[in-house]
Amino acid sequence: MIALVDCNSFYVTCEQVFRPDLWGKPVVVLSNNDGCVIAANKEAKALSGIPMFEPVFKIKKQLIENKVTFFSSNYTLYGEMSQRVMNILSSFSPEVEIYSIDEAFVDVSGMKHFSMNYYGHQIKDTIFKYTGLPVGVGIAPTKVLAKLANKISKKRVSENKGVFVIDSEEKRIEALKWADISTVWGIGSKHSKRLKGIGILTAYEFTQLPGEWVRKNMTVVGLRIWNELQGKSSIEFKTMPAPKKRIGTAKSFGKKIEDLGMIQEACSSYISEVSEVLRSQKSCATYLQVFLHTNYFSDRDKQYSNSVTVTLSIPTSDTFVLISEAKKALNSIYRPGYRFKKVGVCLSGIIPNNYVQGNLFTPTPRWEKNELMHVFDKINRKYGKSTLFSGLVGTRVKEWELVKEDRSPRYTTQWKELLKLKTTKH
Amino acid sequence: MEIFSSGKLSKINNNHVSGISKQTGFPSPAAHYAEPSIDLHDELIANRDATFYVRIDGDELSNYNILDKDVLLIDRSLTPKKNDLVLVVLDGEFKVIRFSGASLETEFILWGLISYIIHYAR
Repeated sequence: MIALVDCNSFYVTCEQVFRPDLWGKPVVVLSNNDGCVIAANKEAKALSGIPMFEPVFKIKKQLIENKVTFFSSNYTLYGEMSQRVMNILSSFSPEVEIYSIDEAFVDVSGMKHFSMNYYGHQIKDTIFKYTGLPVGVGIAPTKVLAKLANKISKKRVSENKGVFVIDSEEKRIEALKWADISTVWGIGSKHSKRLKGIGILTAYEFTQLPGEWVRKNMTVVGLRIWNELQGKSSIEFKTMPAPKKRIGTAKSFGKKIEDLGMIQEACSSYISEVSEVLRSQKSCATYLQVFLHTNYFSDRDKQYSNSVTVTLSIPTSDTFVLISEAKKALNSIYRPGYRFKKVGVCLSGIIPNNYVQGNLFTPTPRWEKNELMHVFDKINRKYGKSTLFSGLVGTRVKEWELVKEDRSPRYTTQWKELLKLKTTKH
Repeated sequence: MEIFSSGKLSKINNNHVSGISKQTGFPSPAAHYAEPSIDLHDELIANRDATFYVRIDGDELSNYNILDKDVLLIDRSLTPKKNDLVLVVLDGEFKVIRFSGASLETEFILWGLISYIIHYAR
């Protein structure tokens, strides 16, 4: 049996744990650069007229009128809270597949001493007790069914209290009949439209199609989902996340920027971020892409965008090598006279350190001996990001960095930002 | 004319590395008793995933021996017993109270148990 555990409105509840004054009140979290709403709790969703993914400047008035509290995203906090949840899950089962920041599959097949329902509640109650975060738990024989069970656990809260188990044929059929085909995990909008076109509206009707038809029309991927819905496990359980194939970052500037020097600094800073991720997974990148563009949404500005991909002579994860390559790449695509909105970098062709080959003119680097980067990362981990940084990153960060006006304190990672308790006489 | 031999030239031995002394004397009597140094994190925090920190701002909790700028360690995994100090929520606000008995009065919501109070002595 597999449990899918996921946190309810995760970003928002992370904020609320430390803000009891906001319990039961509408709260939303904004994207990087405070561009749009990326998370909302049920109180905020219940207010009509607060659409998700809508630019904030369009709805700020509505947010304020409805007394919605909004936070800039605090990924440091969300990441740390996520880590706590995942650690607690691994105390329940050695097999945990972290699916996203707020979701994980847990193999609970070995747990035969208690009922699955009891076990689901144990997981849910422990996570809430330890972290204050509410979760939903769906337990079923396969991943796709566990996803479905999790959905049901949340939809009918009063009945299920956040835990739903599919452990009998009747329950499976009932769940399949309940589920609209478009809500089944892995069925995209294209396929669900097509299926609805031929009269397949629920997951149950989908499972009644012949397997041959599914394979022919929806490839082997569709067939796997079909099998999983029948209760036959067909999607592998991955406890180790696959190393990323591409790592990139691109953020809008806080304001439009013309100056090449400033763009270079932003670009160098992104390189520092992604190369650190690269080193943490003990890999090197073969290709480096840099792209640059103006604000597509602005009618007043002249538009320009371009990108360039560099093949590195030897795959590397060295921040300084990558920064100097990125700088050259950026120089080749930069044109003066435009007001740029965004610069981005993307590393690809990612291979493990020990697969790196030298070439005729350069000896194979000994990555395990890259003491400089090792010490660099160690210091930044200990004293906070950007304690040490390349001079090319510069110190004018404030001029281009994202606006994070309403970010909450990093309660769990910064000694100077701890939750503050003002004491008053009782 | 006399010829003087300049003597045999020999290269400096590159293998000699200064700074590393070879163990020559009696082995340290402490070697078998070595233990890692005390790590406060290990001693004070029983459950990392359930432990949070709170900084106190103000002197009003001195009757609980909690002073201005102290840091409280809150372990949410522990179940409070009578007379434990606990962090609770009352009317949407955090409060520190002494746990009075088996269960909290209904208006309080337990946030976590105060396991340690860290006080800077200077």
